[in-house]
Amino acid sequence: MNAKVENLDPVIFERQGVRLTRSQVEAFGREIEALRDEVMSDLGEQDARYIRRLVKTQKSMELAGRGLLFLSVLPPAWLAGTALLSVSKILENMEIGHNVMHAQWDWLNDPALDSSTYDWDNTCPAEQWKHSHNYMHHTFTNVVGKDRDVGYGILRLSEDQPWNPLYLAQPAYNWALAALFQWGVAFHDLEYEKLLKGEKSFAEYRVQRRKIMKKVRKQVLKDYLLFPALAGPFFPLVFAGNLSANLTRNLWAYLIIFCGHFTEHAEMFSEADIENESRGQWYLRQLLGSSNLEGGPLFHIMSGNLSHQIEHHLFPDMPSNRYKELAPRVREIADRYGLHYNTGRLGQQFGTVLKRINRMALPNRVLRGLSRRRANSAPM
Amino acid sequence: MHLDSSSPRNGLMRRLGRALASPFDPEDYLALFDARYSSREILARVARVRRESDQAVTLELEPNRLWKPHRAGQHVLLGVDIDGARQQRCFSLSSAPGEWPVTVTVKANGGGGVSDHLVHRCRAGDLVSLSAPAGDFVIPEPAPERILLLSAGSGVTPVHSIVKSWLSSGQTGRLIWVHFERNYSSLLLGESLRELALDDRLDFRLVLSADTPRGGDFSGRLDEHWLTQQVQDAAALPLFVCGPQGFLDTVIDWHGRHGQGPLFHERFQQATSGGGEGGRVRFARSGGETEAAAGQSLLEAAEAAGLRPRHGCRMGICHTCKCRVARGRVRDLQSGEHRELNNQEIRICMHGADGDVELDL
Repeated sequence: MNAKVENLDPVIFERQGVRLTRSQVEAFGREIEALRDEVMSDLGEQDARYIRRLVKTQKSMELAGRGLLFLSVLPPAWLAGTALLSVSKILENMEIGHNVMHAQWDWLNDPALDSSTYDWDNTCPAEQWKHSHNYMHHTFTNVVGKDRDVGYGILRLSEDQPWNPLYLAQPAYNWALAALFQWGVAFHDLEYEKLLKGEKSFAEYRVQRRKIMKKVRKQVLKDYLLFPALAGPFFPLVFAGNLSANLTRNLWAYLIIFCGHFTEHAEMFSEADIENESRGQWYLRQLLGSSNLEGGPLFHIMSGNLSHQIEHHLFPDMPSNRYKELAPRVREIADRYGLHYNTGRLGQQFGTVLKRINRMALPNRVLRGLSRRRANSAPM
Repeated sequence: MHLDSSSPRNGLMRRLGRALASPFDPEDYLALFDARYSSREILARVARVRRESDQAVTLELEPNRLWKPHRAGQHVLLGVDIDGARQQRCFSLSSAPGEWPVTVTVKANGGGGVSDHLVHRCRAGDLVSLSAPAGDFVIPEPAPERILLLSAGSGVTPVHSIVKSWLSSGQTGRLIWVHFERNYSSLLLGESLRELALDDRLDFRLVLSADTPRGGDFSGRLDEHWLTQQVQDAAALPLFVCGPQGFLDTVIDWHGRHGQGPLFHERFQQATSGGGEGGRVRFARSGGETEAAAGQSLLEAAEAAGLRPRHGCRMGICHTCKCRVARGRVRDLQSGEHRELNNQEIRICMHGADGDVELDL
């Protein structure tokens, strides 16, 4: 009679040719957590100075930008004003707003930088952003069917998303999403597809939509009516400047965010993958589902340190100015476990994002045909 | 700098300002020019640091326009950034209402917290946050003809404010104020006390426990008999008392047995009554767990476990640290009362574990 031998340390992870047992995954998780503890217990005055200085810089740039736009009759003033306003909107949305709403600065105990009360200069209401982003996206990162950031309900970015003919047009309308990114974000949490499927009540939908429209009205009033009106005869110039600044911020945010999870080697997961997921497995998924961007200090700040997307996903509530020092150490841990640490220059990474968008426009059966043909035509 | 928002024109200007600054407030931009601007809270600039002794200072504070005048005897929650994070403690206002700048007098306690920071590291130009003034340690209206005030140590500060404003408001009654102190060098606001004592309506006595009395001062310490023997019909007078816990206990005890008038008291330190038994504390949101010691507050236990819960005064006043307890048994550190909780909010600075507790942290 054969005694059934129970494997006490089964392989629970197998991807990219790497196999990890349960105890290896948990050891990996503990190493990541040790990094977190080290930095979180070291937060202090310098970090506080960093964020306060940044807020000051951003607010000064915004005032200067809006001031210069009033002198729009001089073309250089229009250009400089628009540029300053664009940069200030990017800083506010990304390195300040996004990170404050992640509770990265709650430890300061400063009501001006508190995640529960902060609202950002964006048409998306903070409360809904925190639900769709902090909760849904950060918990279920790259889980098809759970993480609505995978395609934002309009793009197909994984073979596991069912294809339909509308996706054939996604290489084109993807650019529309980029240009209107803040609007996509604003209406994201409405989850209209859940409404269509009957998973969400009309009453809930209406309440949410009312809140969005309230925020939208304020944003539109400010940028497209009040500031232009204050400029009197130069109304159209200020209007155009504000429109351009919002557009620039939209394109930039889209670019950085798409490079964070949809590069070629960013892994996608299924709902089955996350059943009974342990903390260690969650860290693994964050690492493999995210991709970094390389660049200088200014680039990192302008990207809201989402250039350190991997570190941000491992430690979403850690002050973003600390990601940089952890990046090489996270990479070293990943290397030791044989895991891919996905990083590259912006151009490179975005190239692979576009490739994914173009490929996923096609149904899986065509994709398989294409790759077979490529394999056949390859030189022996 | 003080905008008058009462006229309709200014009301309109404010609405326009808010619309232009949305989703922020105009104050968020004005703060570039004067850091005290805030739409959310009272921020004050430290205009001057007056040294009372090597262990005590009086801070002259210039708050922003959200400040509303206090009543003599009230306290504020004062916040200051230490290692980047704001910490808060309660201090009585030592200035009289309407006096500008507003002052608090702070004694270092060696705990490394807010008081020590203010005494040793606070400089003119620093920014601090203030809550609205609060507290019922105030003279009722109409003011009684005679009042007995007892203070000890830094309990001098609210009583100083009460006496100063009472004397300057043209009252005709009489105050008896007895202040207990270790020695002359630990006495706060000494100069101002001498000045106030010149007023005929005030009978001020200083009682020293560890120094040789000079002039008309006394030697001794407060006990059962002192009051009855030294103050004529002490038991019949309305009584105001502020000082350390032991001092308060003595007076409250005496008043319970002899007092006939009303009693007003102000507490400075968290009164702990032995604390809970301790127990396992689970943090539902962050997933951790820790062992809370007997007498340790849940806030301290969470901090010891590496969490940074929102908190303010740490003495049960501000309710900033309110947190939901999913289930568990706690003990009120002030009253000693045991409570079985089920999905209720408590102030975690004022409660200790008394068995297993699950916190929404």
